[in-house]
Amino acid sequence: MAVNPGDPVPTLACGRDAARVWDRAEAGVAPDVHERDCPHCRAAFADAQGLEAVVHRMAAQRLEPPDTVLDRVMHAVVAEFRPYEVLSLPSPHGPARMSTPAAAAVLRRVVDGMGGLRARSCRIEQDGAQGHAVDVRITVAARFGVDLASVTARVRQMVIAAGEQALGVPVRRVDIEVVDLFEADPFGEGGP
Amino acid sequence: MNADVRMHVGDAVVARVAAHHARRVPGVVALRADLAQALLGVAGAVLGQDRSWLPADGVTATVHGASAEVTVTIVTRLGHNCRDLAQAVQRDVAAGVRAYTGLDALVTVTVADVLLN
Repeated sequence: MAVNPGDPVPTLACGRDAARVWDRAEAGVAPDVHERDCPHCRAAFADAQGLEAVVHRMAAQRLEPPDTVLDRVMHAVVAEFRPYEVLSLPSPHGPARMSTPAAAAVLRRVVDGMGGLRARSCRIEQDGAQGHAVDVRITVAARFGVDLASVTARVRQMVIAAGEQALGVPVRRVDIEVVDLFEADPFGEGGP
Repeated sequence: MNADVRMHVGDAVVARVAAHHARRVPGVVALRADLAQALLGVAGAVLGQDRSWLPADGVTATVHGASAEVTVTIVTRLGHNCRDLAQAVQRDVAAGVRAYTGLDALVTVTVADVLLN
């Protein structure tokens, strides 16, 4: 599913555009009559607020990670990057790069935070010819009963927004595959 | 008496100055040592290390004449925009190195990891 402007955008199951709902949620506009009652729009509203909470609340927290000797060595081993393992970030000040596995983990984490969804795999590709834009392929499991038509629209919107807000790279294309279903867990939704 | 003094700033000086400034950029949780630095750190911990050196783990620097190449490897947390953070590190490190040593630094930043909780 391409994200090129002008392409038809998949809508939520109720026919609304997830991006419009997001814009309103981010602007702090109260949901209109339709959005209050529509489960699809409510889910999209919650997605927007969820990303907002993750991005801004976590940034405000202060935390020093424990740094044992073993951690340091193991991190160093995995930090020897090969060229295909880094994304290039836009910067006027010189080369700026980011670990691709770390970027994929960020996208999986924000999709995991969406109601009724769990992220499985996430691949990010950046071919230099297109500037810094990236193509994202993500597979998700949905809770049984969640509207699958809306899932695509919601995940797409979440990935585009997280790419811009958390990573800082434009997302050109999002391929979403719903690969599995799970049942509502009485102990709450943990990650995979 | 008026003697000419020529100062050469060494790689290690630039690396330590760069690490000092990189660590102070909001959103940088840690600098990530490369393998050689991590092993030296282990050796230092075992052998008993002089802790008075400013740490430069996660930074390498090479001075060429009046300019320096600096690479900085950072860890951040979810919630900080990686692009903006990388740019802020480049800006602050280059400014800090320039102010302290007079060298123009080209700073390469790699975001090695994003902590998710």
